[in-house]
Amino acid sequence: MIKQFVKYLFLAIIINSFYLSCTEPVDFDQINDFKTTPVVESSLIFFDEPATRFLDNGNEIATIQDFIQVDFFKSEFITDNLAKAEFVFETNNAINRGFQVRVAFLNNSGQTQHTFTVSIPPSTNSAPVTSRFTELFEGPSLVALKNTTKIVFTLNMLPGAAITNNTSGRISLKSKAVLYFNLESSSL
Amino acid sequence: MRHLSMTFVFITCFSFGQNKQLLYGFSEVPQSLLLNPGVKIKNSGFVGVPFLSHIHASAGTSGITVYDVFADNGVDFNTKLQNAVYKSKARNFVSINQQLELLSGGFAFGSSFEKNEYISFGIYQELDVIGYVPKDYAILGLEGNQNNINRVFDAGHLNASGEVISVFHLGYNKKVNNLFTYGVRGKIYSSIINVNSTKNQGSFVTVQGQNNIYTHIFDLDLEVKTSGLANIKDGEADAIYKDLKKRMLLGGDLGLGFDVGFTYQFDKQWTFDASILDVGFIRHTKDVENYSVRGRYAFEGINPFFSEAGAGQTADDYWSKVEDEFSAIFEADTTKTKFTTWRPVKWNASLNYAFGEKKEKDCNCIKGESEYQNAVGAQLYAINRPKQPQAALTLYYFRHIFKGLSAKTTYTIDSFSLYNLGLGLSANLGNINFYVMADNFLQYKNVYNAQSVSLQLGFNYIFKKK
Repeated sequence: MIKQFVKYLFLAIIINSFYLSCTEPVDFDQINDFKTTPVVESSLIFFDEPATRFLDNGNEIATIQDFIQVDFFKSEFITDNLAKAEFVFETNNAINRGFQVRVAFLNNSGQTQHTFTVSIPPSTNSAPVTSRFTELFEGPSLVALKNTTKIVFTLNMLPGAAITNNTSGRISLKSKAVLYFNLESSSL
Repeated sequence: MRHLSMTFVFITCFSFGQNKQLLYGFSEVPQSLLLNPGVKIKNSGFVGVPFLSHIHASAGTSGITVYDVFADNGVDFNTKLQNAVYKSKARNFVSINQQLELLSGGFAFGSSFEKNEYISFGIYQELDVIGYVPKDYAILGLEGNQNNINRVFDAGHLNASGEVISVFHLGYNKKVNNLFTYGVRGKIYSSIINVNSTKNQGSFVTVQGQNNIYTHIFDLDLEVKTSGLANIKDGEADAIYKDLKKRMLLGGDLGLGFDVGFTYQFDKQWTFDASILDVGFIRHTKDVENYSVRGRYAFEGINPFFSEAGAGQTADDYWSKVEDEFSAIFEADTTKTKFTTWRPVKWNASLNYAFGEKKEKDCNCIKGESEYQNAVGAQLYAINRPKQPQAALTLYYFRHIFKGLSAKTTYTIDSFSLYNLGLGLSANLGNINFYVMADNFLQYKNVYNAQSVSLQLGFNYIFKKK
């Protein structure tokens, strides 16, 4: 009898010990605090051309303009999670003329939301002149970027000594976008 | 998100690996036949209590623990999460295994007065999940590429598989003589759900560009294969239930497999046994849906003024081409290509030394086969997993405590930890056999910090040997 009792007691203790395991406090709701702020860099536009590229049958090409249609900035992911952006331009000019790159952001109905201009100073002695320009998108300009479906690029050659077949030097532009994301569990 | 955290809770409450070091060789429990069909059987028959004869749950994490990430200790959650990501390695994993026996039974037969052959059979359901830490994806998600220029992100870090199957099995065991017993078991698998993505390759890297500041190189070969999911995805609750039932009862994607094993008794005290389990495959042909992301593309921006293709190509044409390249890679292709999965093969082997003969005083067991009261031994276990096999070494002590009550304690070294202690008990009350086994006792003071836990329990009705 006692033996039986001991047997059951022993079993009960063992079985219970399987279930009565202890825990230190954990809080799974913390997952709602999840936040990550990755910074993504992506190449944007570029070009690298000799001075003579701005000649067409002896006539100067003062303005080149083209556009692209982009869905990217209006996408849900960007709209919800992009907290800040920078467009960074690095230029290198050995031509004795200044240039401007104008970038215009248009919405679906073709209205300009935002513009900025990158100035590229001329080279005075054929030595390359480097410059750097950063456009920051924050607040209203970030909203404008998120409305953008079309970007118009305009390259203007500023007045100066005439370009001939003998004009030396090259102009180059490289650029990147720096996208600061803020991803939170509520928006995922 | 809430579902995700609930899943975490579930995993941690019922979590452990597939190793059943406590049950292996524990021949008082009929289900030890599922770990070695060639075990020396101690009963003349059994019937498992339906749905209660074998309940097994195990889960484990190698590397970080749930407590590392979710501790309520005032440390910012994102800090804990980041630390966990940086601490873990791509070979770290989370694994979950659960089994539920629906029906089982067995009986001895044979021409001689001592029945030396045994048939056992049953149906069980199994869930098996393994996911490796997608470390490079996590780093990219947490940091982005800005601080990781020139770092090659390995797309192969996405590696996971999960399945729910039912298994119909029939085993044969024969005691050839007092020295040698062997057994085989044939299995038919009916796959209910399978999701696997284990052969991913490729990389993403941002390097200094030729024409622009950066070149981004995408080289991806990723695929997720599924069967049994497509119907669930868009079905109605009723239809889904019917479909799952059908797939469970041999209406799913079928496969075949086998187990083999033996026990060899060197002398009265020394035995060696070994088994190979789940050598088998499942052919997935029904309700298959696979998604793949494949391609190689180097992106360095666009030249809106002087397009490479020369006059005639507008900037928008140029950009459209770039967009096409991206969608060619990133828009997943859906295919219905049939596929085959291999079950995770498991190996067991143990060397066993019995000692301490039972005094005759209150023995009513069979004469002639003197029962030792104690045994010690070492057991090796290995399982084939997508990235690499995992192995475990167990040292154990087995003891008949008193009539009908036996216990086994184990000390296990495995992928999860170096100090896993386990305890298993089997009690016979009349003809009812009850067993319960769990491991990682040292971790029970804070189960959330356990690397792994496992639990098995069940009830059987045993026909004793006459």
